[in-house]
Amino acid sequence: MLILVAALTLEATSLLQNFFSRRGLMEEARMRAESQLEATRLQLMDATNQAESAVRNSIWIANWCLSYPDSLQSVPYRIVENNPTVVGSTLALVPDYSRRHPLYAPYVYRDAGRIVTKTLATEEYDYPSQSWFTKPLELGRGVWAEPYVDIGGGDVLMTTYSVPITDSEGNQAAVLTADISLSWLAQLIGNSQLYPNSRELLISRGGQILISTAYGQYVRTTIDEVAKEIDDRPSFARLVAEMRSNQSGSIQIKDDGKVHQVFYAPVAVTGWSMAIVIPDNEIYGALRRARIIERIFQLLGLGMLVLILRITAKNQSKYRAINEKKERMESELQIGRNIQMSMIPNTFPPYPERKDIDIAACLIPAKEVGGDLYDFYIRDEKLFFCIGDVSGKGVPASLVMAVTRSLFRTVSAHEYSPQRILTTMNDSMTDMNDNNMFVTCFCGILDLATGHLRYCNAGHNPPIVLSENEHILEVAPNYPLGVVPKVSFREQETDLEYGESIFLYTDGLNEAENSEHEQFTLERMETVLLQRRDAQAYIDAMKKAVTDFVGGAPQSDDLTILVIRYLNEKQSDMAERHLILHNDIRQIPQLAEFVETIAVEMKLDQALSMSLNLALEEAVTNVIMYAYPENTDGLVDIEAILREKSLEFNIIDSGKPFDPTAAPEADVTLDVEHRPIGGLGIFLVNKIMDSVKYMRKDGKNILTMTKKI
Amino acid sequence: MELIISKENNVVTAALVGRLDTPASQEIADQVNDLCAEAGGTIILDCKELSYISSSGLRIFLTLRKAAAEKGGKVIVRSISNDIRTVFMMTGFLNLFEIE
Repeated sequence: MLILVAALTLEATSLLQNFFSRRGLMEEARMRAESQLEATRLQLMDATNQAESAVRNSIWIANWCLSYPDSLQSVPYRIVENNPTVVGSTLALVPDYSRRHPLYAPYVYRDAGRIVTKTLATEEYDYPSQSWFTKPLELGRGVWAEPYVDIGGGDVLMTTYSVPITDSEGNQAAVLTADISLSWLAQLIGNSQLYPNSRELLISRGGQILISTAYGQYVRTTIDEVAKEIDDRPSFARLVAEMRSNQSGSIQIKDDGKVHQVFYAPVAVTGWSMAIVIPDNEIYGALRRARIIERIFQLLGLGMLVLILRITAKNQSKYRAINEKKERMESELQIGRNIQMSMIPNTFPPYPERKDIDIAACLIPAKEVGGDLYDFYIRDEKLFFCIGDVSGKGVPASLVMAVTRSLFRTVSAHEYSPQRILTTMNDSMTDMNDNNMFVTCFCGILDLATGHLRYCNAGHNPPIVLSENEHILEVAPNYPLGVVPKVSFREQETDLEYGESIFLYTDGLNEAENSEHEQFTLERMETVLLQRRDAQAYIDAMKKAVTDFVGGAPQSDDLTILVIRYLNEKQSDMAERHLILHNDIRQIPQLAEFVETIAVEMKLDQALSMSLNLALEEAVTNVIMYAYPENTDGLVDIEAILREKSLEFNIIDSGKPFDPTAAPEADVTLDVEHRPIGGLGIFLVNKIMDSVKYMRKDGKNILTMTKKI
Repeated sequence: MELIISKENNVVTAALVGRLDTPASQEIADQVNDLCAEAGGTIILDCKELSYISSSGLRIFLTLRKAAAEKGGKVIVRSISNDIRTVFMMTGFLNLFEIE
């Protein structure tokens, strides 16, 4: 009976937690989708506004020009010249309006940076029958055309705004237009994917697909064509109808056996609508993993409970079996302990390949399983870490510990603020906290590049900063997690310098008791911490000191220590040197002189100086020979940054985009016959330098080469 | 950069003096063409006074070596400095040339 109740309670708690987490994750997906839809809408509004006002502001001058037909061409020219977002414009006369030009439509557009003009009044094109021309005349107002792909102009997605021009006598005389390119929009949408497999879809009022990050092959087709391939046609049809009538909202669509959430909204005055499709399993991905771990623990906890109860029951009747049962219980608890230990990082050093961080930790439960936890991982060159202590100990505490650790991983996966991580964790924990358990927790995010530490403390022992002036980290008085719903925590920050450590612990350390019931205390800890050591040595020394102090007394509480030592050497630039060359190969000796000067200044030996010279010559020759078109003048900017232990060269040119690091590596094992004559230049650069990186930025090629010294 | 070519008993000796960088390689291109014509016999590239070589210089070495392979001749590289030997090693040229 008892077990049944326990199982039901656990299941209910877990379902409740799952329900709230799902709701939270769905809310987050909705918020992210809506903010992207809004961002797209604003960008589009900006672009369409610019085109509309460019055209409107020119109506009066177009009107005036009607009396001087030879000056008509200046109207579209002015529009293109003064509006960088407008790629082309025309002023097309109504057929036979002018006796001199029965058909007249000069089209002014940008071509490779220049503004050129051609005529649209050709027999093949027949502009008077095009919809951009007929629609505004028919409706008597400005009109956005259905977007189209401009095949001649490099497959660019374009759209046109056209207004009718009426002369002083009220006759329809011409149509004035402005074309804007939407290629930036495709890029913007493509670059801001919300989830790894989310898809974006922009459709026009006519149902034409303008931009799609998934249905690439359909770009020149309509949404109705796509609909034929979707499994759940009724829902998709509803989505299409909603989008075409410019509604916003969300809908669930099944396709390919998977459920997708689709968020949609109108994004432009032009009647376009955008949808963001997110697979369900990506929204709930993190939760599912957390659920599995949680399940293991629930089963384990129940298993243990069954065992304990059985043993208790049998104790009364069968004393003989006591030892056997006890052993079994211990072995079950041992398995529980192993599982608990495998939930926290337990391989040290955890990042042997990294020189900038040194971490060590230990967790010693007072009973087989405990309620202490720590965790850390690196994401985006930031170390996320936490230490926590669940109230109570043993099996109940261990279950809460497992949930807390899963929550930390789930929540921190999308956050960069310790305060927000703890606030979200607290919200989930107060939601499901029927047993009045609480957790003290310290959460930090250390920027490994700068040593900047953001942290938030929820009622945990303040950590100790091990530096020249060792001190206790100042922490704000926040509640522990799971106590007060909807409370907000205060975040703080500090900076770690090279070699400084942060020493985190649970009260099992300072409150460890010896047989006289004296406590270990912070003072005793500090004597151990006086000496500078690496992370593991701090742990070993502290463990030894506390074991010696406690002696034979039984361990009264779980004991956890986490030490994070920051070892990033912030290199300061010592000096910078510059050389600017023309794309003339005869200037190479100047480069040699430049490198020689730096080598002397940095006291480099002859061999190193020569190889640097070689690498620089190869990289710069490459630019001189190939970056600029033949017989045009271009510059190569060579920038040297001298550091204590390294030399960095940046080679910058504004020629055509070229990534030398993408070239295949030369095969230097081939024999004379098969060996190609070229290809050694970049090969040598790669051989000599420790790192070679290419970047295209602001229309420039930047090759960055570094050599350790 | 100077390329001094001398001929004795069917053996052509070409002494490279100075830095063989990209502009220098372009300067001596004509002389190298003349040398290629002699690739049927033995060509000694004397590198005693060669202080620097870049990939365009290596191209010249390889062009001569290819011409010799085609015409059944021989190219010997003589007295290279340690620095240049390192470049030869990196590029696998040590295996392509007879080095004295």
